[in-house]
Amino acid sequence: MVEKISETRKSFDEALSKVTNPQSLEELRLKFLSKKGIVNQLFEDFKLTSKEEKKLIGQILNDLKTYTQSKFNEFIQKLEKEYTVKKAASIDLTLPGKQKEIGSKHIITQTLDEIKNIFKGLGFSIYEGPELESDYNNFEALNFPTDHPARDMQDTFFINQNFLLRTHTSPVQIRLMKEKKPPIRAIMPGKVFRNEAVSAKSYCLFHQVEGLYVDTDVTFAELKGTLVAFIKQYFGSEIKYRFRASFFPFTEPSAEMDIWWQPKGKEGRWMEILGCGMVDPNVLINVGIDPEKYVGYAFGMGIERTTMRKYGIDDIRLLFDSDIRFLKQF
Amino acid sequence: MKISLQWLIDYVDLKDISINEIIDKITFAGLEVEEVVVQSDKYNNMVVGLVKEVKKHPNADKLSLCVVSDGESDYSVVCGAQNVAQDQKIAFAKVGSIIPSNGMKLEKVKIRGEVSTGMICSEFELELGDNHEGILVLDEKLKIGTPLADALGADDVILEVAITPNRCDALSHIGIARDLAAIFNRKIKFPEIQINESKKKSEDFAKVFIEDSVNCPRYVGKVVLDVKILESPDWLKKKLKSIGLRPINNVVDVTNFVLHEIGQPLHAFDLDKLHDNKIVVKCANESEKFSTLDSKDRELTSTDLMICDGEKSVAIAGIMGGENSEVTFTTKNILIESAFFNPSSIRRTAKRLGLSTDASYRFERGTDYDITAWAARRAAQLIQMTSGGEILYGEIDAYPNKIEKRKTILRFSRLMKVLGYSIPESTVENILTNLGFEIISKNNEQIELVIPSFRHDIEREIDIIEEVARIYGFEKIPNVQKISVTLEEKVDQSYFCDNLKNAMNSLSFYELVTNSLLNETISEKFGKPIKMLNPQSSEMSHLRTSLLPGMLQAISNNIKVNEKNLRFFEIGKVFELIHEKEIESFEDFKESEILLIAITGYEIQSEWYEKDIASDFFGLKGNVYALLNKSFPSIKFELTYNINHVNYEEAFTIMHNNKIIGYGGKVKMSVANLFDVSQEIFACEINIDELKKIEQPDRKFKDLLKFPKMVRDLAFVLDTEVESDKVIEVIKTASSNLLHQIKLFDIFQSDSLGKDKKSLAFQLEYFDETRTLKEDEVDKDFRNAIKEVEKTFKAQLRGI
Repeated sequence: MVEKISETRKSFDEALSKVTNPQSLEELRLKFLSKKGIVNQLFEDFKLTSKEEKKLIGQILNDLKTYTQSKFNEFIQKLEKEYTVKKAASIDLTLPGKQKEIGSKHIITQTLDEIKNIFKGLGFSIYEGPELESDYNNFEALNFPTDHPARDMQDTFFINQNFLLRTHTSPVQIRLMKEKKPPIRAIMPGKVFRNEAVSAKSYCLFHQVEGLYVDTDVTFAELKGTLVAFIKQYFGSEIKYRFRASFFPFTEPSAEMDIWWQPKGKEGRWMEILGCGMVDPNVLINVGIDPEKYVGYAFGMGIERTTMRKYGIDDIRLLFDSDIRFLKQF
Repeated sequence: MKISLQWLIDYVDLKDISINEIIDKITFAGLEVEEVVVQSDKYNNMVVGLVKEVKKHPNADKLSLCVVSDGESDYSVVCGAQNVAQDQKIAFAKVGSIIPSNGMKLEKVKIRGEVSTGMICSEFELELGDNHEGILVLDEKLKIGTPLADALGADDVILEVAITPNRCDALSHIGIARDLAAIFNRKIKFPEIQINESKKKSEDFAKVFIEDSVNCPRYVGKVVLDVKILESPDWLKKKLKSIGLRPINNVVDVTNFVLHEIGQPLHAFDLDKLHDNKIVVKCANESEKFSTLDSKDRELTSTDLMICDGEKSVAIAGIMGGENSEVTFTTKNILIESAFFNPSSIRRTAKRLGLSTDASYRFERGTDYDITAWAARRAAQLIQMTSGGEILYGEIDAYPNKIEKRKTILRFSRLMKVLGYSIPESTVENILTNLGFEIISKNNEQIELVIPSFRHDIEREIDIIEEVARIYGFEKIPNVQKISVTLEEKVDQSYFCDNLKNAMNSLSFYELVTNSLLNETISEKFGKPIKMLNPQSSEMSHLRTSLLPGMLQAISNNIKVNEKNLRFFEIGKVFELIHEKEIESFEDFKESEILLIAITGYEIQSEWYEKDIASDFFGLKGNVYALLNKSFPSIKFELTYNINHVNYEEAFTIMHNNKIIGYGGKVKMSVANLFDVSQEIFACEINIDELKKIEQPDRKFKDLLKFPKMVRDLAFVLDTEVESDKVIEVIKTASSNLLHQIKLFDIFQSDSLGKDKKSLAFQLEYFDETRTLKEDEVDKDFRNAIKEVEKTFKAQLRGI
């Protein structure tokens, strides 16, 4: 048995030295190292030997197995190395890959996605609603009295006296509050319309995200804290901000939030980023929620201006002109 | 609105507060300062200069060559004005200064060969007046070298303040001063009125009758006799000019001054032009014509409130006076009107007439009904100051129903509940008192308040809470550092479309957002459009009935810039009338969400490993299939072909349970041509609302196959018109349930096959989930399939 082992070792060495191509290597593997190869056969023989012999042979047989296996592996590695060098010389690896293009979402959609994700993380649901709305949902229910100058704040496309293109996504808030009981915590992204001449600075439509939270213990301090958390996630934790009092018919107190905007090499300035406030009790009454028991906050922001500033887009029409040279940049 | 800081400090002491702090604090309180103009900045690098010498320009008859001294150096200056003369003190703009009238920066230049280092300015160039004929000659007592701003007294700072529509009370200098007083916790200084009134009474010289007391609750008149219509004194002109108003004459200027001081619009009538010396406040006659001060004829309706005399209309109430009662240089006796009108009445008329004046702007927001008499006296006092005259005793005060001031209660607990922060009670009281609220009673829990007559925006507790919070300062209310999560059901209604968008991206499509507004011709071509009442232009007068026009326009625009290979999609709303009638409810129109996919040009443009592949019907079909399969793997959709569609040829519909959820195909050339496109476009529209309605079956895991598959290939020669789908159908029917998949992998046509013949090659996949198949049972199945195809289509087996 011992002799057989040392012979095997010799004949393995000899065979390995003669290997010249993948076929002869495979032959060698089959002969010595495969399941039915010589080495395994020796192990089969080993099972039949006596206890004393086993003591004697066990070690050297294991050594043989380790030896042949490692020699074989070494050889393969050497061979692969040679092969790679040879092959590389014959293929032009700098040729472009066979690629498929990945399309992209519109930059406004991408911005909306970012904003939606942040608010989802803060426990907000996402609701949508129609773009052709009733005057009631868009204005009356939101505490815009008829014949009040507040209506001039939003240039409106009317279909007739009672129907219009929504000027904000706030009607979704009305629909939601009529349908659900508090707590209501949701954002409403969507397209809105303003009757303005199309120019580099304004377009007849844009996108908005509004938010609403109604519960028994909602406070202005929480509104501030939540919005600060949002802008820090969106613009980075270093962002400078301020809240100043403002007016919206559907909130009271009302505020606008500005951020300090300073593009590289330019003078910085305060820039309005969103409007917010505590839901006016009249709005709650209009949707059948008791304003004494429940308090709400609401906020809303336009997406286009923020997006344009973030990416340095100077003409809003680019967003809606569908130029592939523009779309491919995002 | 322009606010002069110099004017403002007449009413509130702000000496110890920096301009920046004033600006910040009133901005925080809701009166946003949008622009700050420091007057002296206008005159940077400009000084009082002395003309030492004037010579004729050697090369130009109309020019002079001057030597100007600024006290330190002499400058040679070319001047074109005729009135320049030696020893004059003049406004000298040095090199580097910016001329206010045109924003031009002065540089050292040569004019007709002579060097000019600076400029002698005219009144016009300094924006001090209209005179640009000659240079401005300054007071000879001025010291040479004095900064021009000091010499002109341009020491004011002008704030452009944006006033939100609720703040009717802040549309004046005193209004702004009141907020500042509250912010800095100090008292407002109201101007004192001391006038010498004659023994004659106003009410004996004019009478006021209010016929419509709903729209005119109060009308105060005051008479001043023997006024002289003059140019206003300098102090008054300077104040008006500082906020961008043009001085006209003392009477008009005084009414403007009072308006910007206290916010009460006034009107001065020539009393002698008022028939019967009488004022009647009533509505206009239907279709009445009236000439306003701006020399325009206006047509009125019976709801427009008018000021009339004994026989005719003399003013559109609260908006503009008439030519027929205007104060002119011959006017001797005047009636000052100081009224309170119903805001919505004024707004309706002003809006309908498209006429917004300083007066209507304030009346439609709500003026102070308690300040009317004071304002009339204030105007009388100032008119007398500027031109003498006899102020008659007292006012005519037509005030049929005295307006009671509103009252409300503020609970401290509610303040705390809404703000989430407790403001000290004494601070709350100070803020409210400084804003003009009167505290009737108070205890530990609440205070009861009288709301001042100038705050039409305040009536409820929440309004008071806002006042306290904005004056206290939002920045002092700490942001919470943690929020609790409410555990109601969370919903994401945008998730469905987000998924579609992701799938479209992975299929190499770019998303578009196109305009929802179209012109009439285009929108009508694609459906029954909804028309807008007040469009911006005829190009955007209707709502889109389809996404296709926007898409075709986008493709057209891209082709124009030589981008011809396009893969676009858009998800958006389309709108359509259901009946041909006016929209009265949500049932009268349909708003649907649509996904539109379009491809055009090359799907693959030749690569080193691949030839060009043009976008075609099958490119579109493959993408639609991949999209539906990826987003709805467990739902079966059917496609039906060659339907008759208005926009598509080679058309198909996407069906689910016999319901059409979309259609597409090759866009008809006649449609593409509408957008100047001549290359082939393939598009598909899918109704997302219908897609959402399809119930998603449960998705269950299926055991992985444990036994080997067997694969058989075969090819038939068939008549060209035989559809591949039909062949597959026959193979399926002829086979046992061991056959699981059939794939068409080759189509071939050639003369060798014969005329009108084609070869279709299929790969058939057999397996059983419970055992390994035997060769001969698959062969048997396979032969059955071959036989059936041969029989059904008279096909010839070409190879297996």
